[in-house]
Amino acid sequence: MSNVAGNAYGLSILSPIKNGRVPGKEIAYADLVRDQLQAWNSEFNSPMALVPQTYLCRFYVLDDVVTESLPGGSFPDTWSDVLPVVPDSLRRDVMPKQDRLQSRYLVFCCNFYAGPAGTPDAYLRGMWEAINGRIHDIWDNCYGFENIHHASDFITYMKKCQVTTSLYFNGSTDQPLEEQLKALYMKQEFTKFAIENQGLSATAIRANYRAFMLRTQLNDLQMPSWQPGQYRL
Amino acid sequence: MICKCQAGNRGNTGFDSLICQRHYSEPLFRKSFMSKQLDLLDIQGHVLRAYGRFSYPKARYVFLNIRHSGRARRFVDAITQRVTTAVCWGKGPNDMPPPEWAVNIAFTYQGLKELELPRASLIGFSPEFVEGMKHRKDILGDDGPSAPEHWDPIWRDNRETRDKDVHIFIALNALAPVKSESALTDIQQAMAQCDVFLEQAYAWLLDEVKKSEAGVVILGGNRGDDGALLDYQEVKVVMENGMPTAKEHFGYTDGIGDPVFEGVPYDEARVRGRGKQMADGSWAPLATGEFLLGHIDEAQEYPPAPRPILLARNGTYMVYRKLHENVASFDKYLRQEGQKYPGGEELLAAKFVGRWRDNGAPLVSAPDAESKKKFDEKFAQASLAEQDRMLSDFTYDNDMSGAKCPFSAHLRRINPRASLEMGRDPGDIPGSYKTITGAFDTPGALSNRRRILRRGLPYGEVKDRSRDDGNHGIIIMMLNADINRQFEFVQQQWVNYGNDFKAGNDKEIILGNHSHDPRFASKAVLQVDPASEEVPYILSNIPRFVETRGGEYFFIPSMTALRMIARGVIDPT
Repeated sequence: MSNVAGNAYGLSILSPIKNGRVPGKEIAYADLVRDQLQAWNSEFNSPMALVPQTYLCRFYVLDDVVTESLPGGSFPDTWSDVLPVVPDSLRRDVMPKQDRLQSRYLVFCCNFYAGPAGTPDAYLRGMWEAINGRIHDIWDNCYGFENIHHASDFITYMKKCQVTTSLYFNGSTDQPLEEQLKALYMKQEFTKFAIENQGLSATAIRANYRAFMLRTQLNDLQMPSWQPGQYRL
Repeated sequence: MICKCQAGNRGNTGFDSLICQRHYSEPLFRKSFMSKQLDLLDIQGHVLRAYGRFSYPKARYVFLNIRHSGRARRFVDAITQRVTTAVCWGKGPNDMPPPEWAVNIAFTYQGLKELELPRASLIGFSPEFVEGMKHRKDILGDDGPSAPEHWDPIWRDNRETRDKDVHIFIALNALAPVKSESALTDIQQAMAQCDVFLEQAYAWLLDEVKKSEAGVVILGGNRGDDGALLDYQEVKVVMENGMPTAKEHFGYTDGIGDPVFEGVPYDEARVRGRGKQMADGSWAPLATGEFLLGHIDEAQEYPPAPRPILLARNGTYMVYRKLHENVASFDKYLRQEGQKYPGGEELLAAKFVGRWRDNGAPLVSAPDAESKKKFDEKFAQASLAEQDRMLSDFTYDNDMSGAKCPFSAHLRRINPRASLEMGRDPGDIPGSYKTITGAFDTPGALSNRRRILRRGLPYGEVKDRSRDDGNHGIIIMMLNADINRQFEFVQQQWVNYGNDFKAGNDKEIILGNHSHDPRFASKAVLQVDPASEEVPYILSNIPRFVETRGGEYFFIPSMTALRMIARGVIDPT
């Protein structure tokens, strides 16, 4: 499956946001979604930090498709280049018109540890259990979400909105999150250790290393380690 | 799609396009695939609506200076909660009613800096916006009596010392809730109610300023009556016999030909004469990107805009200008020339602008007294929508030599439609021009990228028409995606210069910066049919009718951008 790479899963969700205005307010559903998501910036941590096994994720509101240039290259277009008698108006007439989206979309891209199962179900269940209140805040502005009350509904809804992709954020392996965070912690601590011990005698280094291993507890994935979502020391 | 009141008809009163009462609930968003619908709730109302046309006959424009960035952002947040969007108004249970007072906000470059937008975003704004109107005076022709040293103190002192810089613009437009347009008492009542709303709006703003704990302060120095200096610029429609009009102080009906562009649902039926002229005689709305950033423009490109896209999209630039009207000079010159001009004074007044003063009839449709009479008869019988079409739906195709609407008339200079594609063949009658074909894709190719949305209202009252120096003029706000390509080009090349119109250095008659120096006296040629025996009339020694009294370039952010500015989360990466 294209959205599985080893034990990692690349989930891409496009949920159509309701058109129109939030009742009683002068704000569109899509603008409200964006405003709420931007407010996450001001919180101590993203609510997504509470969702187990999240490597990296990203939310945004897709307003419309972006035009790269005037489309061209069709059959009469080419002919008008080589045969000047083919009128320019003909060439223009056959060019495709600009496409538009019929609604704005909430885009949720997420990479996480799916394990050997290779499905998003367990992750989505974990997401629902951890932050279903926050999920409602955002997804209630999307079509059809009013009937979502349980984890299983949520999994079904999200799968309906899923786009199969093979896009991955660079920067993580496919190990469980705890493994990766511990590895990151160990790498940083060991670098510090190397700097601090540079030029010391072998005896001193050996003694310091024993203390280092005792302090860092290589096999304990929980402590000490980086915590999910943590970006401050 | 459109409610009658928004069809934008203007008859003899400024109130013929009243509150959007009969509005039916129309799509707020994209309903039909492939046809562009704008996110009206993300666009400030000021951008898509000339409030004066929507029964908001009075307004106050307030300018503020930022003293503390963090508190100023909280102030912007508070204002944003109350900002009026471009949402369609209606009276149904699910509709948004027109507010009693509308609030809109814009910022100068200095203001955005004080709000601590990141440098990587600031450098994306256009150079002319960074520089500001005052420093563009040579391009704009703001010389002599229009030079910055003569501007109102608020504008004269702007960009000199930090504490007097204009940072924030807030517009408060008040509704006149008219029940019936015919009864004078109803209209008087509505105007009185409008005053109440305006005071409420201003009191609300003062309270928000107070709550900012000196994060922002209101800048005074707007000249009012008898030289008084006010904390705001007051504007209102010109009244005639107790009735509001759509006129300015010279007596012309203003703002008829505002451009229509793609995606504005309440403008769809107004496209003829206001969009772009097509080769097959039809009209199409202009590309959205001519007026809103983040949308494709007439060159099939996104206009240059700051990053991130959410800062720019659905926002636009605004040119604010306070223009004093020398009514005595105007009346005197019109009378003096009108006595000599064969068509008489009122036709001459129409020649200055390209429209008749009484009902705005375009000269190309009613070039003389006889045709005007017929126009008036038809106009009187016409429905509001038909009247609107009569005023806006015309071309210069049958007036390429300028015999009907002069080349230097206001209307033709500001929006030449297809008339710049003019040429002549050897042997043609001297003074005659015709449309040239083959060189351009569309008839409007030379003018479609110079269009400007116009907003604003007159200010002051003319208490003594024998004097120039009273407090009277117009506040005009021109909105465009590219100040340099649109507003500044029109001002420099088409208002203060005439070469594109094959009129040498003749200036636009009304707005041109005509010199007082007799060595550089202004003239304008009122052409006649080149095949006729008549001779052109040359206006000479045209005085300066309009003087600049201040202004600045602003950026009007979208609602999204406002929220992001208020939160301090503009991230250009």
